[in-house]
Amino acid sequence: MSTTAKPMIASALDFAARSDTGRARENNEDSFRIAAELGLFILSDGMGGLDAGEVASKLAVETIYAQCRDAESNPELPYEGERVDGASETSNRLASAIQMANRLVRAAAADEGEIEHSDDGSDGASRPQKGMGATVVALQFFADRVSVAHVGDSRAYRLRSGEFLQLTDDHSLVAQQVREGRMTEAEAEASPLKNVLMRALGVDETVEVEVDEEIAIEGDTYLLCSDGLTRELTDGQIAAILTEMTDAQSAADQLIDLANLAGGGDNITAIVVRVGAKSGGTLGKIGRWITRSGN
Amino acid sequence: MPKLTLKFDNAILGEVPVGSKEVSIGRSPDNALVIDNPAVSHYHARVFNEEGRMMLEDFGSMNGTFVNGQRIKMVMLKPGDRVTVGKHTIVVSDSNDLDGFATVGAGVAKPAAPKINETVMLDTKERREFLKKVAAVGESAQVAPTRVKVATLIVRSGKTDRQEYSLTDKLTVVGKSALATVKLKGWFAPKAAAQINRREDNSYYIGAADKTPSVNGNTITHPTKLSSGDLIAVAGIQMEFVLRD
Repeated sequence: MSTTAKPMIASALDFAARSDTGRARENNEDSFRIAAELGLFILSDGMGGLDAGEVASKLAVETIYAQCRDAESNPELPYEGERVDGASETSNRLASAIQMANRLVRAAAADEGEIEHSDDGSDGASRPQKGMGATVVALQFFADRVSVAHVGDSRAYRLRSGEFLQLTDDHSLVAQQVREGRMTEAEAEASPLKNVLMRALGVDETVEVEVDEEIAIEGDTYLLCSDGLTRELTDGQIAAILTEMTDAQSAADQLIDLANLAGGGDNITAIVVRVGAKSGGTLGKIGRWITRSGN
Repeated sequence: MPKLTLKFDNAILGEVPVGSKEVSIGRSPDNALVIDNPAVSHYHARVFNEEGRMMLEDFGSMNGTFVNGQRIKMVMLKPGDRVTVGKHTIVVSDSNDLDGFATVGAGVAKPAAPKINETVMLDTKERREFLKKVAAVGESAQVAPTRVKVATLIVRSGKTDRQEYSLTDKLTVVGKSALATVKLKGWFAPKAAAQINRREDNSYYIGAADKTPSVNGNTITHPTKLSSGDLIAVAGIQMEFVLRD
């Protein structure tokens, strides 16, 4: 199964997304949502038995989208969770939307748990279904910036003037060990514990959302992806495709195809966003390339 | 807490938790885990806790102690291990599967719990317990809480709208852009010359934008962590990064 999203409005963001089940899994538990009118791009990788992963990731992206849309038209919309110190309104709204998604995924997990346990009549009936949850990584462009928010091990990358940079630190056990200098990148790569997440949506009542802000510059290319892509391809392979891309759709297609060729061991999703660049590098010098005003 | 389950064939004969107190294993009735069989020495072996690690030591028994088929003198145990004494088996397990992760810090990674490719999520309690274990195995994992310092940019030369800037935002832009904090003056100044990010752990990183800054005279090739006293040069201005109490 493969789903594709085309740009909904013409703007100076060239973007495309593709999600694929891969070659080893039966279901695609990844979900994505693009809201061009909000400059918003969301990707989520769900987990859990039966269809729980699909339910979780879908619920996460739709909740985040709905919350950001509502915040746009209603400045009075209450915030979920704590305000992010020193961050813009956009970042705070995005973090708040992710908090809301956490709550709803957790509630859905509790419902599933009820079904799971209803037969035995045990008092564990209202416990969340263990293992249902989701990661999320989201970009929201505003003015000359972009908010990058994430929970879990789905990643955001940026290619700028030949420099390919991972913008997000994985909230995984092995990534934390690497950051603390307890493990090398190679050891992390080989570790059987690389699937252990330190943060995810749907696990606790609240979740720590990591939010960063970046300047967005004409010519920047952003990539959001699930671990199904980064497990199969090296940074060098990904960077090469983004460097040579003619348009976002062909880049997203190539990334998925190459990851499938490399094994396709997991669901693969990629969202590619190029700033201020239409295909073939024919962009004009557009001062205001974003459809929404800054805040 | 880990536990030892004594088995003969498939029958479970007993269970003993492994806490801070050592578990002696042998034929004599005063052992914590008694195995009444002539193949077992009176005081055969012991399982004890050494700095958070579960150790098994054979007391030079006649017929030996085996872990996963290998005869041992002393070895670290982990959940899933099978200890054989005579014809009896002692299975090492844990009420909380996550305890298996404690072996990560020791460089031994053979968890019984997660299947390959299946993502596991830790909740707050599990995470806390896990981090505590890692801390016990290695050196101190958690950085001691430090006083929050105020990051400041002091302009040493060049045209800017102010002499000093407090870096309280997640993103500080140096440039002519309306959203820039460090405002550059002059007709040819770039909209966004460089950016400084405050990360989740309150560290500061400087990165390139329209221009590539240098730190202490070296042109950066990737986002670079700033330390107090670093000298930044970009787009014709020079600034010092200072952390103040």
